[in-house]
Amino acid sequence: MQEITFSEAIRQAYQEEMRSDPAVYLIGEDIGRWGNLFGASRGLLEEFGPAQVKDAPISEAAIAGCAVGSAVMGMRPIAEIMYVDFISIAMDQIVNHACKYHQLSNGQVRVPVVFRTQGGVGMRNSSQHSQSLENWFVNVPGLITVMPSTPHDVKGLLKSAVRNDNPVVFIEHKSLYFTKGSVPDGEYLVPLGVADVKREGRDVTVIATSWMVLHALKAADRLAEQGVDCEVVDPRTLWPLDKKTLVDSVLKTRHCVVVTEAPAEGGWSGEAASVISEACFENLAAPVKRVCGMRTGVPYGKIEKLVVPNEDWIVDAVHELLA
Amino acid sequence: MELNDLLKLYRAMVLLRRFDEMCLELKWKDLIMNGFHPYAGEEAVAVGACSVLRHDDVVISNHRPQGHALAKGCSARAMFCEMLGRRGGVSQGIGGPMQFIDSDKGFFCGSIVGSGMSVSTGVGLAMQREGRRRVCACFFGDGASNTGSFHEALNLAAIWTLPVVFILENNQYGEAMPVREFVSAHPISLRAKAYGLDGVTVDGNDVEVVASVVEAGVDKCRHGGGPAFIEAVTYRFEGHYGGDPQWTYRSREEVARWRAKCPLVRLRSRLIDSGVSEDRLRAIDEQVSQDLYSDEAWALEQPFPTVEQATSHVMIPLNQD
Repeated sequence: MQEITFSEAIRQAYQEEMRSDPAVYLIGEDIGRWGNLFGASRGLLEEFGPAQVKDAPISEAAIAGCAVGSAVMGMRPIAEIMYVDFISIAMDQIVNHACKYHQLSNGQVRVPVVFRTQGGVGMRNSSQHSQSLENWFVNVPGLITVMPSTPHDVKGLLKSAVRNDNPVVFIEHKSLYFTKGSVPDGEYLVPLGVADVKREGRDVTVIATSWMVLHALKAADRLAEQGVDCEVVDPRTLWPLDKKTLVDSVLKTRHCVVVTEAPAEGGWSGEAASVISEACFENLAAPVKRVCGMRTGVPYGKIEKLVVPNEDWIVDAVHELLA
Repeated sequence: MELNDLLKLYRAMVLLRRFDEMCLELKWKDLIMNGFHPYAGEEAVAVGACSVLRHDDVVISNHRPQGHALAKGCSARAMFCEMLGRRGGVSQGIGGPMQFIDSDKGFFCGSIVGSGMSVSTGVGLAMQREGRRRVCACFFGDGASNTGSFHEALNLAAIWTLPVVFILENNQYGEAMPVREFVSAHPISLRAKAYGLDGVTVDGNDVEVVASVVEAGVDKCRHGGGPAFIEAVTYRFEGHYGGDPQWTYRSREEVARWRAKCPLVRLRSRLIDSGVSEDRLRAIDEQVSQDLYSDEAWALEQPFPTVEQATSHVMIPLNQD
């Protein structure tokens, strides 16, 4: 095992996939010379050259469209959108093209694109650089949406996403890049569409996504001191959703809290709550509770962390649920 | 151009025109259910441009794609089926008149104005990488030249010298909005010059002119000198869609003036001037019509897709990777 950062795990995934398949290439802003804002593609331009590591102009529609066009021709692009906030410019190419061609061609055409991007708070950059927009993608048929929380998962999931023939939106969290974790030395994959129980427990299931998984684990530590045994479930892939792992956990604990940084209204947190309610209604000791980001533009500066869930919010919610 | 080649172009243009006219009739009968955008009047662009493409080149088209598709070689029978929403269509009837894919013919189209242009850069990138001297021809309209995708795609294609031939069909209107009021640069090819390209503007109702200028662009792209940008000035005879309130934005006199410049009539008189008999041309017209009637009749016999068929390829199941 190696102890590496989330950012290094991405770099290794890139390197392994590009070495094994020359059809894999990177396209995006500042991925070559800079090696990505967080070092996730550092050194790859030197190793693979500008044909496989393509620094692109600030043109998100062209980056996404170019990725789609090259994918239908047999390449396997990883298109990086520097901030998920900028993906609004590329939505047409993702939603109207990448997700439609397979069906429109009666299964003949495949669009193996990974749109890799990052969201959430952490850089004190205010409301156009800090959003959690994953909910937009979960609602689009034909699209896979992935949100990893650990170095182990990001590496294995990214490799699976690159090898998958469907379009994938792969959303990292900017506060995770320099977190560390154990990763196997050799090659491995983490399958898409499979949730992971990050901590086992008997009393309450906390379903959390992305950076919120870390908060949930800290909350679980604190709750354990108070005699409450939390199970923390990380869906990893928001869609297709591993309903079974989520449902099995709640059938055991009879209590469920869903935690997302994105606002609750109209979002995946509601989808998860519905899945649980539909499958576990008679077993639930209390209604499913949601802990989500405030419905606000993220404010500038240190205050940004006060509008999204943290350990305290989760602890309080669990107490309320069990009361 | 050799007379035989010219006759081939004539036949192709008649095919596009008759197909369009028949589709409009099907639309009036509500058999084409929606989304049909007539192409009549613009045939010289599709036919001239596609006449210089290879079978393995790719065409990216827009919401008015039927002319480009037929000119690229999609079968009229499958095209009728697609228009009618029947099985046997190029997209098995689930795409309809403005979004379908014929992967065997290298044909893609879509109904979001301008967005195919950014997709064409990726097709070009893959072709540049494979090195087989293929090109991507991307058709779009004057309206698309006002979208962000146009500008992003032109810049990207230019900085990476991608083998994409951008073909702007300036048919004078983006829906109901006249080019003279809604586009800031005239000719629109000036916009290509802003990206360092040799944008040219040509008479899009002259099939020989279109073929020759597109051929030059295609050659340039095949030899690493891409992209190319061609503005073909033309006119759509019918409304934006069949039955649009066209007299709110243009006059009958204007339509009549352009009908007098009909690309098909012009080619016909050129052929006659070159010694081709009226009878020979009439025989071509009749043969095309007969074939199309038979294709249409066949298409009208085809079933509609079931919901299950129509939704069977939304995504590739994860366990079948």
